[in-house]
Amino acid sequence: MKMDNHILESKSVNVYYDDMHALKNISMKLEANSVTALIGPSGCGKSTFLRVFNRMNDYIEAFRMDGEVLMEGKNIYHKKMQVDELRKSIGMVFQKPNPFPKSIFENVAYGLKIQGIKDKEFIQNRVEKSLQQAALWDEVKSDLNKSALALSGGQQQRLCIARALAVEPRVLLMDEPTSALDPISTAKVEELINELKQNYTIVIVTHNMQQASRLSDYTAFFYMGDLIEFGKTEEIFRNPKVERTQNYITGRFG
Amino acid sequence: MTQLEQEIKDLRIELLNMFIAVNKQLLKTEKAFFDFDKDIAYEVYNAEKRINALELKIDRDCENILALYSPVAVDLRFVLSVYKINHELERIADITEGICKYINGLSKPFPSKAVEDVRIAEMFIQCKSMMEDVIVAFENEDTSTARKVFKKDEFLNEINEGGSANIIKNYNEQDAKSLFFLLSCVRKLERAGDLNKNIAEELIFSIESKVVKHQKKK
Amino acid sequence: MTNSRKNRLKDKGFEYLGVACSLFGLVVLAIFIGDILADGLSRIDWDFLKSLPSRKPEKAGIFTAWTGSLWILVFTTIIAFPLAVSAGIYLEEYGGNGRWSSLLEVNISNLAGVPSIIYGLLGLEIFVRIFKMGNSVLAGAFALALLILPIIIVATREAIRTVPPSIRAASYALGATKWQTIWNQVLPASMGGIFTGVILAISRAVGETAPLIIVGALAYVPFAPSSPMDEFTVMPIQIFNWVSRPQHGFTVNAAAAIIILLLITFVMNGIAVYLRNKWQKKINW
Repeated sequence: MKMDNHILESKSVNVYYDDMHALKNISMKLEANSVTALIGPSGCGKSTFLRVFNRMNDYIEAFRMDGEVLMEGKNIYHKKMQVDELRKSIGMVFQKPNPFPKSIFENVAYGLKIQGIKDKEFIQNRVEKSLQQAALWDEVKSDLNKSALALSGGQQQRLCIARALAVEPRVLLMDEPTSALDPISTAKVEELINELKQNYTIVIVTHNMQQASRLSDYTAFFYMGDLIEFGKTEEIFRNPKVERTQNYITGRFG
Repeated sequence: MTQLEQEIKDLRIELLNMFIAVNKQLLKTEKAFFDFDKDIAYEVYNAEKRINALELKIDRDCENILALYSPVAVDLRFVLSVYKINHELERIADITEGICKYINGLSKPFPSKAVEDVRIAEMFIQCKSMMEDVIVAFENEDTSTARKVFKKDEFLNEINEGGSANIIKNYNEQDAKSLFFLLSCVRKLERAGDLNKNIAEELIFSIESKVVKHQKKK
Repeated sequence: MTNSRKNRLKDKGFEYLGVACSLFGLVVLAIFIGDILADGLSRIDWDFLKSLPSRKPEKAGIFTAWTGSLWILVFTTIIAFPLAVSAGIYLEEYGGNGRWSSLLEVNISNLAGVPSIIYGLLGLEIFVRIFKMGNSVLAGAFALALLILPIIIVATREAIRTVPPSIRAASYALGATKWQTIWNQVLPASMGGIFTGVILAISRAVGETAPLIIVGALAYVPFAPSSPMDEFTVMPIQIFNWVSRPQHGFTVNAAAAIIILLLITFVMNGIAVYLRNKWQKKINW
């Protein structure tokens, strides 16, 4: 039985964009090596909440936050926290695949390059390992120097996943990772997520209810900045405790 | 209203029709039994085809909803319970048909003393009452009405237990066939009571999401 | 006449008008080039390119002029390129969005439109006199660098702007600092656009006459510059000088020099287009 195995935690987190109260008093504990899905109608704050964990909201001028966000017990918004260090343990995959306009190899190696790693063999091995983890190795191994932009949409997204995995983060944040992909690529990425969760903690924002119910161990339902319900996915989808959650997942609104 | 909501609504109406049809069979069967009316028995026998068709349709509709709409939570529980209740109703209808077959297979009514002793009239009354309870419970999503059937089912079990003894008491060579049929009717009605009890359990699960099967009833 | 027929006629009409306008420019250019070639092509030979200026038109050559242009070109680039690109990067990436930076942006664009002679006057006072560079290549290069600075800054900012925010986001999300993101992703991606801007700016500088005259590029220079502090002349000034002489021979020389100058301009623009196309192929957002 797992004891307190919570790798990420938010305590009474409030987020404001100027005067707009975007997230209201969110407290949540996320278990290590699990998949947590964040669901809710558009504009409910789930993407904002996702970005709180790797501090990508910091680039938005109007952003203000109070409350604590802890990773492995340490407050990541502490003044002394180095943001670039944080992002080496918390990776992110975006909604629209965004590979760099460079070769496949350079894309995956980038995270290592900026850390100052120069050992060529080490980089080679890490690139291969990441591409294998992302189930892309077989498709690209014949020519790693090909431009990343020549890959299909689904392949590009898997490349972005490999790129994020290359720095061996503990956590992977995914913001609607399959919404821009066709059904077959979506299925491949979902399969990937299923395998990755053995070694990584994954938080995924999704609009697709079935995806949330298929992939996740825990589900959090957000509505207009509030965390309405958070629990094990089977319970949320079989018998949610809050009526609003039930109305959302059965499609009666939003 | 979303498409799923519409489908659920339609499914509800269909199952209600099934309930009513099966209930009618039960009422007719009672009349056929006590009036020894072979015409009514024949009606029941005929209606069986329609009930089977309705059962198949409800089956198919449940499957469709599951396949196309991936319902969750309350919707999923509803569809699952409709699916099971559907089958239970069909078996109740089978029971009524079986009793009517017996009626048609006899040349004279069941021996009245034996009929009195096995208390089959009371069984019919309890069974009808249980059916009424579950129909009301289904229509109104009222679990307290559903719970009324448990006591009635116990009552039926009691009567059923005395069945063999009462038949043996009344045994004579001449009426052997009738008596065996009568005993079978007793067993069937007890079974019908069980089925109603199952239906009540499904309703409680669907509405309250409590699993009450295989638990001691209060 | 039905509406759709009217519309189709208007469509065709506009098409023909557009073709005519484009052809007009091309035709005029063709006439001009044809005329120049007729006048000057025969004069061009190795001697012409290697000779120093002289009072006799048959002996006069453009050696000092084109070497002067080359020196100016090189030094202007050396001065302007790093300054302007760095300024462009700073303004675009670190500049912020306030009133101050919008003001700055408008003013820099305005600078690009300032008459070039003003830059000459500026150069004269600041570089020739105050910094005591004299009428040297360096002074001329500085003056021209000032002239093309706003052009390159604007080109740099535009090129950087075409890099989508998603690329930066991806870089940041991997733990890169702002500078790492600029150096590794933004700059390489915008290099094509920046180079195009630089080459176009330089090719403009090659043709500038007024500011250099003010700064003191002499008309009669019998030697090629051998250091940045030397006096110099450039092609346009040489052409101007020859055109004002009465002898017909000098007119021919001028035509020949114009051909060479045009050639240089076309080649530079050609390189710019080639680079831009090559860069476009690599990066298709």
